[in-house]
Amino acid sequence: MNEVSKTGNVFYTFKGLLLKPEVSSFLIFIIMFVITATLQESFFTVKSIVRNINAFTPLILLAMGQAVVIVAGGLDLSSGAALSLFTCVLTTVMKRNDPVTGIYAILVTFAVAILVGMVNGVGIGYLRIPPVIVTFATSYMWLGIALFLRPTPGGESVDWFRAFYKIDAVAGAPAVLKTIGTFIPPALVLLIIGCLLWFIISKTRTGRYIYAVGSNIESAYVSGIDTARTQMLACIINSVFIFLAALFFVGQNQSGDARMGGPLTLKSIAAVVVGGISLTGGRGSVYFALLGALTLSFVNKIIFFANIPNAYQTLVSGIIIIVAIAGPAYVMFSKPKQ
Amino acid sequence: MNTVMSRPKFLSFRIYEKYKKIVVVFILIVLLFVFGATTLPNFLSVEQVFMTIKLASFTALFALCQMIVIAGGGSGLDLSVGYTATITAVLTASIMDGKNEPLLLAVLIALALGVMIGLANGVLTSYLKLPPLVVTLAIADILQGIVNAYVAGKAITGRPSPILVTIAAKFTGKFPNILFVLILVTSITMIILNKTKWGQILFGVGANERTAYLSGINVKKVRCIAFTVSGVLSSLMGLLLLGNMGIAFKDMGSNYVLPSIAAVVIGGVSLAGGEGNYLGVILGAIFLQTLTNLLIAFGLGDAGKWLGFGIILFAMLSAYASNRRSR
Amino acid sequence: MNSVVVLEAKGIKKHFGGVIALSNGNLQCRKGRITGLLGANGSGKSTLSKIIAGVYRADGGEMRYNGKVVHYRNPHEARRDGIALVFQNLSLVPDLTVWQNIVLGVEKNRGLFLDNQSAKELSRKILQQLLPDLDINRKVHELSPGEMQIVEIAKAISENPQLLILDEPTAALEQTQVKNLFDYMRNLAQQGVAMIFTSHRLWEVMEICDDVTIFRNGEDVATIDFEKEGKDPEKIVSYITGEVKKSTIQVQRREVSDEVLLKVNITGKDKVLKDVSFELRKGEILGIGGLAGQGQQELIYALSGSYPGVRCEVELNGRKLRLSRPADAIQNGILLVPGDRQREGLSLEHSIYNNMIFPKLGLRRHPLFIPEAQYCQECEQIARLLSIKAPGIDAPVNTLSGGNQQKVVVGKWLSFDIKVLLLADPAKGVDVGAKRDLYEYIVNLAKEKKIGVILYASDNEELIQYTDRLLIMYEGRIVATLTGADINDDMITATSMRVR
Repeated sequence: MNEVSKTGNVFYTFKGLLLKPEVSSFLIFIIMFVITATLQESFFTVKSIVRNINAFTPLILLAMGQAVVIVAGGLDLSSGAALSLFTCVLTTVMKRNDPVTGIYAILVTFAVAILVGMVNGVGIGYLRIPPVIVTFATSYMWLGIALFLRPTPGGESVDWFRAFYKIDAVAGAPAVLKTIGTFIPPALVLLIIGCLLWFIISKTRTGRYIYAVGSNIESAYVSGIDTARTQMLACIINSVFIFLAALFFVGQNQSGDARMGGPLTLKSIAAVVVGGISLTGGRGSVYFALLGALTLSFVNKIIFFANIPNAYQTLVSGIIIIVAIAGPAYVMFSKPKQ
Repeated sequence: MNTVMSRPKFLSFRIYEKYKKIVVVFILIVLLFVFGATTLPNFLSVEQVFMTIKLASFTALFALCQMIVIAGGGSGLDLSVGYTATITAVLTASIMDGKNEPLLLAVLIALALGVMIGLANGVLTSYLKLPPLVVTLAIADILQGIVNAYVAGKAITGRPSPILVTIAAKFTGKFPNILFVLILVTSITMIILNKTKWGQILFGVGANERTAYLSGINVKKVRCIAFTVSGVLSSLMGLLLLGNMGIAFKDMGSNYVLPSIAAVVIGGVSLAGGEGNYLGVILGAIFLQTLTNLLIAFGLGDAGKWLGFGIILFAMLSAYASNRRSR
Repeated sequence: MNSVVVLEAKGIKKHFGGVIALSNGNLQCRKGRITGLLGANGSGKSTLSKIIAGVYRADGGEMRYNGKVVHYRNPHEARRDGIALVFQNLSLVPDLTVWQNIVLGVEKNRGLFLDNQSAKELSRKILQQLLPDLDINRKVHELSPGEMQIVEIAKAISENPQLLILDEPTAALEQTQVKNLFDYMRNLAQQGVAMIFTSHRLWEVMEICDDVTIFRNGEDVATIDFEKEGKDPEKIVSYITGEVKKSTIQVQRREVSDEVLLKVNITGKDKVLKDVSFELRKGEILGIGGLAGQGQQELIYALSGSYPGVRCEVELNGRKLRLSRPADAIQNGILLVPGDRQREGLSLEHSIYNNMIFPKLGLRRHPLFIPEAQYCQECEQIARLLSIKAPGIDAPVNTLSGGNQQKVVVGKWLSFDIKVLLLADPAKGVDVGAKRDLYEYIVNLAKEKKIGVILYASDNEELIQYTDRLLIMYEGRIVATLTGADINDDMITATSMRVR
């Protein structure tokens, strides 16, 4: 009689709709998409789309992985360093003249990726060290190991590895695959694999527990959820996404570099925030991190088309990132979590 | 339970807790020294020890910036300390040009830069409530961009004033001059943090933001000021780095960022804020420097250094975390 | 009716660090019976419930469930055995929906994936009897505290437990929700479910429980079977406090001066707190009552300058003030004792001394260097005055009991020139003895220093006992003012529900 449950009528007002993080991030995405499309004349050609997909893929994969960790209540400052490490491992195991080493490289690097995820996961989930700090520490561990393997960029890659980037670059690839490869770039396949991976996980217990733990870890624990294991699984899933990005990178560049991934870490976090996902965890859709990464990538293209000289690019992208996170964050932080 | 009784301060819990952590670090340093002395020649020489202290002083001063920001709570961290120092060094080098007269101007410029950068960090984190980690990282990026643009291919000209060189690089007898700077800074810091209202307000804000707010403290202002102080200090560090190195170069400061945070953690300061003992942080810096020396002596170079730092930081964090865990 | 013993706890011991929570805990639960647990905070009753539910592990003693000896390492194990604990809003995940929360931790699979269909059906079925209008697809953070508590209860019931432990479930509930809950509990009892029910509200325990076990200082001191021995509140209270003298529920209506201390005018477009105006007289204790969540807490916070959603203008002793920040209120002697002492009143790791001197540091003309000697002395004086039990003023506040912590919170302000004292549910979770100390002190303060006190309490008994005038709030406005003999349970309830 006295307690009337209020229906969620905040969604039925326009302002309310705008305040939902997903909606505002989608709007920003559309705006950036339109601007980029108008600036680049050849935007809608197959060649250009393929080129864009290739350029955007690493950030998208990293952003989606980062989103999983963030939703679980963590954060990964080591994702860029991990990416670098994986490229170094790949190009150290592979020997140019021995195609089989490509398979070994993939297996070994995958194992390394799981290990990396476990280390971060132990730190965040079991030892309960603040994620910011522990992944800050591990980022230097990955950097150190990567420098051991590849003090300077280089290493070897087998020829067929190029298939992760461009199928027709591989000598001896079947013609059928080559034609498909011009429409559906391998990068897109990697992206689809990533999305599929998350789709499956999100329908399982682990998927729901990731949200539960990120939302309120005490409640999750008290409800019988193994919160440490859940957070570790989130870190491992993140590692797998980074692994996919490493495959692409080595496929594209045929070399490993201990420092290439650094700048991507911050961008992946920014992409998550731009995608409307709360940094405090428990909320937001991982697919929207994809959207956020696209938005940021479009912004970079806009900078490029505005003819800003190279030297200023880091400067401008730093500013863009602040603006990008200030906007949605301002909206999000005005709705406090209980 | 007993009724209220007052006992002499040095028997109370808090002091015991504080000094317990410092003792741990001290023991660790001694262990490292013993290890080094037994495996390497010259490790324990007076020159080596003071050289270590000299290098550690720089880290310790950067770590002070971190400690202030961390103590204010709210997941405070300042990842822009490195590039703040770098940009100051780069911009003031040509102004000083090896002479003493423009030093005052250089200091003023450093202060101005520090205030601007610190305020930017402070406003974005406190008033706009953006996460400090991301903001300071982005600001560092921006500063890096400015430095890149300014440099744009040409070499950085300019040399530090001789006074700066004396303070930062030279020795008086066996003692490095920077040590005196450190001692001075430490004294001022300890007094401000423990004996003045500023220090207690900072710790109060870090310990419980809501309580501090309800007690009439302007939490946002306090945190903003903390970042500004960090900015000013790291900017001044830029001058000292310049004095020590003799020239300015692009990556001058960035190698100090991780160690500055690591020193704070190893020094036993809680990353959640609300407390902080600078003595522990200094010992943490000395520990890190000793470790670096060992790694370099064993020929492990850059890779070993980063890997080693990362592992040590991880290990220290695990150790402190298992103390805190309550289930 | 002597039914089967479901749970028997004997000689349970538990300590946390150096503090002994339970030295000798004994309890018996029977099938289909509701056993009440009563006792002051820190008496061990909550600890025992949590040990039974597997949240804590006992350090000694024996527990038998259905005749078998059991040692639960976590709540999950206890749950599997059929023991469910209803938390006080501590086990709900805010960003998941109602039905997702109800099955949280025990989700069933259909093939490889989660079976959401059956989860939703189960949720609907349970809530049908407890709260039929609730949309199970809403996210928990959108619910009111009462609704959340019901979802907690539904969650515990969802696995058909044999023993249900309800630890202070009524704290956040409305009268009607309490009634629904008790009906449901009687239903469960008829089905043979055994229940343990704890509450600070004596009359609730007397209404719903079949018997009650009373705890004091870490052990059970008495068990009363209501059927056989009847219900004697005086006796029960004496067991709880351990004092021979009867608890005097003597209501003294005091003489209050006519001088107006504070005129309040609050306006604004806030959702919870609407336009409010009233006056406060010198020496008066003004209560704010009404159903939970009608804006009472917000009103208190607004008066302390910490509720930015409204415009709070007051006239203090004739001087017009606008209270837009806490500093505005504090500078003028309007001081707040907040509701959640741990999250709002204290810095838990800091010492009593640090906590007590802290608000002073924010005052405008405070010197840069802290006069330590002087402050130490003042702090010790205040600690003695309030009878704070601690080894010294350097003891960290998180080592104190709830009641003593609350005394520190009040102590912060005692060196100020208090004009108005604002209390937001100051005795919440404080045991009977400390509660009495606290209120006696406040009443004396009001009488002697002629300050004004504005008191919000969630427990009507406190309002009845201590206030001179009582404002009833409904939907953010004041709808009734009760004075003198009208301050009683009947009138309060009636006006709260807009019946009169």
